[in-house]
This record gives sequence, structure tokens and C-alpha cells, in this order.
Amino acid sequence: MVIDKSIPIKMEESTSLILDLIYRLKIKDVMSRNLVVASPEDSLDHIKTLMKQKNVTGIPIVKKDRLLGILSIDDIFKALDNGYMQELAEKHMSKKLVMLEEDMPLAFAISYFDKFKYGRFPVVDRNNLLVGMITSRDINVGLLITINKEVARMEELLAQSTPVDVHNIRKIFRIRKYDFEHAGNASNRIKKLLVERKLDPRDIRRVAVAMYEMEINITVHSEGGTLTVVIDNDHAEIIAKDSAPGIEHPELALQEGYSTANEWIKSLGFGAGMGLANIRRVSDTFDFHSALGKGTTVRAVIDFKRKKGNDNDH
Amino acid sequence: MKIDQLIKELGCEVLHRRKETGVKDLKHFVVSDLMSDVLLIDEEVDLLITSLSTTQAMRTADIVSAMGVIIVNGKAVTADMKAAAKEFDMTLLKTKLSTFEVCGVIHRLKG
Amino acid sequence: MTIKDMMQLKGLTLVQQEFEDATISGGYTSDLLSDVMAHAVADNVLITIQAHINTVAVAKLVGIRALLIANDREILDDMIRAAQKEKIAIFRSKMNQFELSVLVSKLLAKASC
Repeated sequence: MVIDKSIPIKMEESTSLILDLIYRLKIKDVMSRNLVVASPEDSLDHIKTLMKQKNVTGIPIVKKDRLLGILSIDDIFKALDNGYMQELAEKHMSKKLVMLEEDMPLAFAISYFDKFKYGRFPVVDRNNLLVGMITSRDINVGLLITINKEVARMEELLAQSTPVDVHNIRKIFRIRKYDFEHAGNASNRIKKLLVERKLDPRDIRRVAVAMYEMEINITVHSEGGTLTVVIDNDHAEIIAKDSAPGIEHPELALQEGYSTANEWIKSLGFGAGMGLANIRRVSDTFDFHSALGKGTTVRAVIDFKRKKGNDNDH
Repeated sequence: MKIDQLIKELGCEVLHRRKETGVKDLKHFVVSDLMSDVLLIDEEVDLLITSLSTTQAMRTADIVSAMGVIIVNGKAVTADMKAAAKEFDMTLLKTKLSTFEVCGVIHRLKG
Repeated sequence: MTIKDMMQLKGLTLVQQEFEDATISGGYTSDLLSDVMAHAVADNVLITIQAHINTVAVAKLVGIRALLIANDREILDDMIRAAQKEKIAIFRSKMNQFELSVLVSKLLAKASC
């Protein structure tokens, strides 16, 4: 009876962490060193008792630490069936041995298990002396322990790596149409964060103005949309997206003074038509796409400590 | 000049005072009734002088980091504007005078 | 002071010169035309950035004889033509509303001495 013990690790598809581990880990890191061995002169019956006592399924047969052969539980079943349990180990041990060296990466052991379908492999050192045994369970346990350690280490690193001065902001705001009461609220909040993090006032102004203009545009000119803000140590990226109605003449919208706002909106103080041109003015990168029926996307990037235009100090 | 001088000379009603009040020497005044215009300014803004008595004026003032807003022409100030002043920690004043007159007074106080 | 006196002011450019000279007794600074209609009085000079034809209409209504456009705003042709028709002077300046208000205040103060 042969038990299929092939390892279900697909080497080609493993995540890089696993691959890294199975090459980094050596067989000696996971093998059992508590060797249960027998000598060639021991009877199969003795081997059977040894297996039962020590709860192992394979016994290496050694003479002065030199590996001569191996006896597996399958061999014992055969002996039981055919009635030669009193015979000696050396007569029935497998001499065609597949051995693994202790310094080999774990990856080798995994591929050996897959290739040879044995339940265990003896492990030898450079001098071909037996130093341990490796089973698929040893591989599992070894991997689990190491992965646990890795993850714990990574989590600790993550917890430590949020230095206080990182302008680490990622937020998405939903902006509702004609919500004049809150129009600009997202921008006010982000500006407050930037002041707290002590960003240069000139950079704060540029980010706040760009974002505010974009927020008002969504409120006044669209059916509603989103405002995404990503700010790190080096720059701020603001993306405004709405899905309707889109701008009929995008090229006109970039002209200062051009506005399609109605009288009511203008009376509230909006819609003077500076918006897009102003966003472009304060940004280092500016993208704008719009089509009637498709909606509008505006993207602005403000690079910090790179002042637009005038570089004079206050 | 300091804010208290201005409040006195303009006969302002004080609707909200910011926390660090009275400390700053006021130098940069912006006059505008169109908030989109205010957004075109690059310079520092101490006080926004406007007749646009809306929450948007407060938000715009916050965007340009103004320390206060003066509403002119005796226009009514809404509760939302007061709440905004509190939220942004901004001084909110009201005067019966016109923008033109306010500018004249400021100029006089600046000496 | 009169409109003609304003022509001496440094920083002001006269862009619509077909006007009827008149006394200026005060100034009104505003970008909200509804406000101008409600509060400005005749013989005010209007300081504003609203450089379009509606400003002329409101000026006429109120009795304003001179317009002062701030922030170097571009003045549209139809505004110039309307002002020509009404004999209302238009000045243009790089200065902002605050600076222009102060300038006119000073001139008025000097004139009344």
C-alpha cells in the first residue's frame, strides 16, 4: 500500500514570501534530530516495536552513524503479511537511498517529496553521516513557525514605521450637488490637517485653493461626485470626479472668466468662472478631462517646497 | 494695528473671537465680495472685508488662512456663520460702515 | 474733488475718456451690484472688479459718474461703449480694492481740507 504523500505546494505560483522562506530555510532548520535508529543486526520485530514506541514510520539503519539503509512501516507490513518478522534489518532494508543534505534549502526537500513519494528522507551532513530525518510534517511545522515569526516581525515594523512627520493622508469625500451649506467642508478639513502637520504655509495655500475650487465645482456644476486626496511628504494629489453632466466645451472651461453658472448660483458667491484656470495656476501637474454625458475628471498635483512662480521669501 | 483698535474705531459688533485674539499685528487686508477672487490671492491674508454675509465667505477665509472676517454694510450675520467662525477659530466682526469707509479707517489707524 | 482731479492719480489709467466731469463726494467699494444699487449714492466713485456692461447700467441707475476697475481686470468692449454712451468715466488700475479705497479716501480728505 502506498500512501500518496505529495506536497501540494505549487512552486511556480507561491507568493514571494513563501518562496523566499523555502529557499532561505535549510533542511537542518526543520528536520528532526531526535533520531531513532537501528543497527543492521536488529530484527524486524525489534524495528516494529521501536516504531510503535517512538511513534515513527521510518527507521534509518546505521553503523557508526553511517547510513546503510532505511526501513519503513510498509516494509514491516510486508514482513507481517509474509511472516518474516524475525529476520534481520539488513536483509530487508532499502539500500537505494535518497538522502538529503542538511544544508540544502527546504525547497529541495519539497520537490523531493513530490518526486519520490516517500514519507520521509534521511538527512546527512557533508561527511555523509546521518544527522536527522525529515518528514512532510516537519516541513509543515517548520514553515508555520517561521511564517508566524515573519509576520510578527513585519507587524512590529509596520507599527514602528509611522513617523510623526509623515504627511500621510488618504481620504475620499463624497460631494453632493448643490450642498452649499457644506460646500468646501472637505477642503477646510484637509487644510486643518496640513496646518497641524506644519506644512509650509505657501504649500498649504496651494493645496487648499486647488481642492476648494474642485470641491465647489462638483457642488455647483455636477450631479455630485467624489474628491480623492492623497498627501505624503513630497506632494499632494487631488482628484475630482463626477459622472454627470460633463462639460460641453472643455477648452472654454479653462478660460478665466468663462462660466456656465446661473444667476442664483452667482448670487451665492459662486460661479465667477475662475475655477479650473486657478487650479491649474496653483498646481505643478494639472489634468482635466470632460465630455458631455460622460462627466468630468480633474487632477491636480502640488509638489511641496517647489514654489510656483515667485521664489522670494516672505 | 491690533484687532481691538479696529473693533473700537469701526464700532464693530463682535460675533466671535478667535482663541489667540489681540496678539496679531494686522497688516494684510483683503477687500472682496467675490469669493472666487479671494482664491486668486497668493499673499498672506489677515482680515477679509466683505459684504458677502454667507458661510462661504467664512470657508473661503479659512482656505486662505485669514484670522478674521469683517462683514460690512450692517448685513445680518447668520448662525451658521457664527458656527463656522467657531469651527475655524476665526474672529467674526460686523460693522454698519461701508467697505470704502472701513478702508479709510484702517488706513488712518495704520498711520 | 472732480473726476478730472482723479486723472492725476498715480496708478490709475483712464480707459474711457468721454465723460462729463462731476464732483466726487465719496466712494463705494463693492463687487455685488445688488449692493451697489442698495447702498451707493450719486457722486460716489465706484471701486469694483466687475468689468462688464451691467456695472454701467447700475452706475447709471444710482447716479455714479466714474468707475474704478481694480486688479487690472480686462474691460470688455461693450462696457466701454455703454459707458461712452452714458458719459461715465472708466479708470483701470493694477491696485486692489483695498488700495484704491485708501487712495480715493486720501484724495477726498485732502480735497476737503
